[in-house]
Amino acid sequence: MSRPLRKLLDKAGMAVCVLLLVSPALLFFLWMLSLSLKFEIDNGAYPPILIPDRFAWKNYTTIFEGNSFLLYFWNSLIVTGAATLFALLVGVPAGYGIARMRAHKSAVVIMIARMTPGLSFLIPLFLLFQWLGLLGTLWPQIIIHLVVTVPIVIWIMIGYFETTPMELEEAAMVDGATRWQIFAKVALPIAKPGIVVAFILSVIFSWNNFVFGIVLASRETRTLPVAVYNMLSFEQVSWGPLAAAALVVTLPVLILTVAAQRQIVAGLTAGAVKGG
Amino acid sequence: MSILASSDRVAGAASVGRTKRLRPSYWPFVVPALVVVVGVIVFPWVFTLWMSAMEWRVGEEQRFVGLQNYVRLATDLRFLEALGHTLVYTALSVVAPLVLGTAAALAFNTKLPARGLLRGIFVMPMMATPVAIALVWTMMFHPQLGVLNYLLSQIGIGPLQWVYHPSTVILSLVLVETWQWTPLVMLIVLGGLASLPTEPYESAQIDGATAWQRFRYLTLPMIKPFLMVAVIIRSIDALKSFDILYTITQGGPGTASETINLYLYSVAFTYYDIGYGSAIAVVFFVLIILLSLVLLHLRQRSAWNSGDGK
Amino acid sequence: MASVSIRNVRKSYGPVEIIKGVSIDIQDGEFVILVGPSGCGKSTLLRMIAGLEEISGGTVAIDDRVVNDVPPKDRDIAMVFQNYALYPHMTIADNMSFALRLKNTAKSEIAAKVERAAGILGLGPLLGRFPRQLSGGQRQRVAMGRAIVRDPKVFLFDEPLSNLDAKLRVQMRTEIKEMHQRLKTTTVYVTHDQIEAMTMADKIVVMHDGIIEQIGAPLDLYDNPANMFVAGFIGSPAMNFIPGSIGGDGFTTEDGSRLPLGGRVPAASDGRPAVYGVRPEHFRLADEGLAAEVVVVEPTGSETQMVLRPLGVKAGREDRKRELTWVLRERTGARPGEVVRIAPDPALAHLFNPDTGLRL
Repeated sequence: MSRPLRKLLDKAGMAVCVLLLVSPALLFFLWMLSLSLKFEIDNGAYPPILIPDRFAWKNYTTIFEGNSFLLYFWNSLIVTGAATLFALLVGVPAGYGIARMRAHKSAVVIMIARMTPGLSFLIPLFLLFQWLGLLGTLWPQIIIHLVVTVPIVIWIMIGYFETTPMELEEAAMVDGATRWQIFAKVALPIAKPGIVVAFILSVIFSWNNFVFGIVLASRETRTLPVAVYNMLSFEQVSWGPLAAAALVVTLPVLILTVAAQRQIVAGLTAGAVKGG
Repeated sequence: MSILASSDRVAGAASVGRTKRLRPSYWPFVVPALVVVVGVIVFPWVFTLWMSAMEWRVGEEQRFVGLQNYVRLATDLRFLEALGHTLVYTALSVVAPLVLGTAAALAFNTKLPARGLLRGIFVMPMMATPVAIALVWTMMFHPQLGVLNYLLSQIGIGPLQWVYHPSTVILSLVLVETWQWTPLVMLIVLGGLASLPTEPYESAQIDGATAWQRFRYLTLPMIKPFLMVAVIIRSIDALKSFDILYTITQGGPGTASETINLYLYSVAFTYYDIGYGSAIAVVFFVLIILLSLVLLHLRQRSAWNSGDGK
Repeated sequence: MASVSIRNVRKSYGPVEIIKGVSIDIQDGEFVILVGPSGCGKSTLLRMIAGLEEISGGTVAIDDRVVNDVPPKDRDIAMVFQNYALYPHMTIADNMSFALRLKNTAKSEIAAKVERAAGILGLGPLLGRFPRQLSGGQRQRVAMGRAIVRDPKVFLFDEPLSNLDAKLRVQMRTEIKEMHQRLKTTTVYVTHDQIEAMTMADKIVVMHDGIIEQIGAPLDLYDNPANMFVAGFIGSPAMNFIPGSIGGDGFTTEDGSRLPLGGRVPAASDGRPAVYGVRPEHFRLADEGLAAEVVVVEPTGSETQMVLRPLGVKAGREDRKRELTWVLRERTGARPGEVVRIAPDPALAHLFNPDTGLRL
């Protein structure tokens, strides 16, 4: 076989390879987009239509009109925001402390927390919130989302602080810094990339959470995943608006994923490879 | 929290006899998180264990019944059936992403153009909101209007009933789970591939090994620890799978796709049988821990670089 | 500036004793080097002076004040770490002024001190850069600058040159010595490199397995090593050790050759087993000397190093340590396989007790 031909074949093979790799994800989300932009008649057509003649932009406007969607968006924002910020507040120092005390065994608690099904936290905490009279507010969801966010943050931060050299902190100690100054002025600034990773993953997993919401949310305190699910079960299912709503819910996460894929990959593999 | 406490005792032993520690204590950094972890993670564990020994329905008197809930579980056919579904679902949801994810990692480990962007697209399924993608899959599974049956008809197969028939529902759900989680396996294996030394490959090439031989005798043994990590994580996640199953089938048709997690949900939050639900949660929890321990043990044996690779 | 007094200091991790009772007196302004093979406890001792390791027994005093329980920040010391430990997120100027800023020193004073230190080390143009933009030698200088700015009582150096290439190491050696001559700050310096120790120190402390083998001025250790360890550790190439026994007015090697002692026979030692130590540069050609076969000739230009195998010693792994090294300044036409006769200079030879290793 001649060299140029061989090169061409290699390139073609590579292109096919690339296409095969990303097509399951790409085609799915394209189809999702297509569903969300079609009128009912096009969504019911056989054979299915990928690109319709006219776009049903009203699918998007309806979800914001009828369904308190903005309220649910706001709820999601509050729950995810509060749970993530609080997790960073307690989890970053904790990751630092555990890494510095070399208390690796305490990380087992975090591992087991990750292995525990969300539902088994729900039963006792549900009763607790009921007893405290918190049901009907956003507090139960904010608190229970800590089950997701705190372990993520601690886990990632332990790994991060372990890789920052102890020598730097000893230098700061000799330079006259107290332990709080060492944390704030040396350890924390160096760990900034780790905090970004922890923040992103915490936001994504909290935003996506569904199981806590279906039990704890009332009509006014639904988060977006619960709201979208309810559209499916309680209304005459109409595919266009439903797909549009689904896309709106997951769009922030998808954008974040593509924009911060490097951090996400770093965070997930660090946790995974160390986590075994 | 005995684990935390014991590790401090070890640290403290090093400074026996000194009145004052030169090194700062790091406890103040940990305490706030400790409070949170005890409150939202440890307390629920303990409380669940306690509730599982009670006859406890919402709105009724509570009564201590010892192990009665557990005895009831052993004879609960619906539970045993759910256990079977869970094991089948988990096994398939581990194997399929493992094979596909490893293949994808090998592809990603070459010099692809726009590798970062492609990887970003590739991992989208696992980061996307599960409920949202489950809704779209539901539409795609539709026997008459779904795009999947249309695609199959183009190659002369079908139409299938997908999630609407007991014989195909679990396989269909595994398809979704595989689509969603293959990227995670890919990332873990890709991390493993990146850590491999290059010399053995060069040496094998000089020795005349084919690409397949290099994969079979070099790559595969060397990434085995990473594959085991992927198996462990995948097993745990598949056992716990909830969002997709609940959104698409709610365990149906009938109870054909009801897993332990879904059954637990029904018992606790549909029938409000808190005591029995707690017992299911405890058994489920033990199941997950046992499986993890077995897999961890296997992984320890598979680690060729257990010295540093952990 | 200050004196440092180390009294019977011990360090143990659980049952393992790393430092087994060490006492050193360091005068005000002195440059003291702790040297020894890795694992001898020299770095641990330095870190105990810094306050980074707790002291299991004994006392460390700076300026007559016992500092065992004083945290590092209150000891008024500055330390240069092996990997420099520059704060990667701060500019060079901020790195150097960090300690002063922690103490809320006035801005003008900080600026003046940083400028002075930068002047001493030639760091002026680099002050606005970040550590990652600097070369190894420059980072090393910044680490020193950070110490100078503090104007501390004691400088501590923990193997500061081991990450530099050979050429830069020689250059920095000179710079550190110059800096000390200029600032006259009490300095404790740890290294495993005996050449660094010989060239820089006022006083060398040779450590081995957690104890002090000998303390002394560099040439003192070279000329009068207290035991075989110091004799073998100081000097490169290492001293030759020839086992045998003392007899009459000389020394008889194991294979029966006679080596001169120059009348320095220790009293009541006739027939006593001993080890004859002679430095490679203290051999000369002599007709009556030890007959040995040339194994390897290694010319370096300024001198020639030769490995010799005394006749009667078999070739092979086992007897490698009985081979002798000879360093001569003049060029030689000797080739491997030739037999030469060499004799040690008896005035510069040493005798050691083979059991205790101590000098006789």
